[in-house]
Amino acid sequence: MRLLRRVRDVKQQEFTEFYRSEQAVCLRAVLVSVQDRQLAEDLVAEAFTRAWTSWHKVSCHPEPRAWIVRTALNARVSWWRRRRREVAWEGTHDVEDLAAGGSGLDPALLAALRRLSQRQREVIACRVFLDLDTGGTASVLGIAPGTVTAHLSRAVASLRGHLVNEGDREVGP
Amino acid sequence: MSDRDTDASAVLDVLKDSLNHVGMQTPAEQIVAAGRARERRRFAGVAAGVVAGAAAITGAALGLTAPAGTGAAGTAAGGVHIRTVAYSVDSQTDGTVRVTWDKQRYFEDHEGLQAALREAGFPVLIKVGEFCRGPQDAGTLSPSGVGPGVEKVMMGERGSDGRVTFVFTPAAMPAGTQLFIGYLSPAQLAAVGGNPGSVERLVPTGVPLTCTTEPPPAHLRSPGGPPKK
Repeated sequence: MRLLRRVRDVKQQEFTEFYRSEQAVCLRAVLVSVQDRQLAEDLVAEAFTRAWTSWHKVSCHPEPRAWIVRTALNARVSWWRRRRREVAWEGTHDVEDLAAGGSGLDPALLAALRRLSQRQREVIACRVFLDLDTGGTASVLGIAPGTVTAHLSRAVASLRGHLVNEGDREVGP
Repeated sequence: MSDRDTDASAVLDVLKDSLNHVGMQTPAEQIVAAGRARERRRFAGVAAGVVAGAAAITGAALGLTAPAGTGAAGTAAGGVHIRTVAYSVDSQTDGTVRVTWDKQRYFEDHEGLQAALREAGFPVLIKVGEFCRGPQDAGTLSPSGVGPGVEKVMMGERGSDGRVTFVFTPAAMPAGTQLFIGYLSPAQLAAVGGNPGSVERLVPTGVPLTCTTEPPPAHLRSPGGPPKK
């Protein structure tokens, strides 16, 4: 019994350290992908909860942060499917307003991210926020390394145009 | 490194820096508690499965036959049947979900009850110490803490043993709506003299809710009034 409690304590300590050190990075990666602060928080919380229940596996994973982000994005797909069955879709306008409102995020940044494809956002999440290389990103997303490079290049081009234009407007008379 | 690479790196750095202030608001303890609750449910499900399997084997060995279609008391053969020390959730053949809970223990596992009800097809949001309403909700509550329309989706029945069973009706839930249940925390219960013990409201799904930690007013019941929730 004492051994069981000790194992439990070690697990909690390891998991808590992992959560505290990686939660922000994982949240930012998911946020870039879903562009909704509250949804991202819920998805990452769900992914970390699943990580707790599978800690023996996640703690040995070569890229545990990538596991969290992949699990969060997969959860989003299943939640979206469930919600699509339960709730009549009311259009995207309200959803976009909710995503920006009160999120503390720059609306211009959100607009720039929305111009990217889902896959481009996922590539950015892995390359920029998880610091994965092209091979690691390809492995996490299940796509070819060349596809990763192409998505990143297009995403950068789109972001550059939008962010630069926004910057120009800010410094104008 | 080429100018092109440098330029790309600068764009991505701007993006990365712009989210530097973002971090999770959910404390680690809450994640761990949710994970433990999920493990308990999983364990309870496995244990129930083992018991049910053993009962079936024993029944078969003794040549017993079960009533066709349903088990006792209209319990659906499929559906969700979860029993933990804190609550029980049983899908019924008429589409309703019968639920009992132990008030002493639900604080520890209200997330488990929420997940079990959702699994049984009943959309619900359960919190402790926090009371939420939709943006269009005027906040009207009965003295016992129940909002309009709740009685169509949730009803309490007191059995002969005095135990209250709640019957949830998923089919009666309006589209785009879920039931919000807010249990009063021990401090809030003390402040209202133990009644109401919870707030129930129908709230919209997919929109931010307005939540407060201010408990509902105390309900001074007359002797012989309805049972406390």
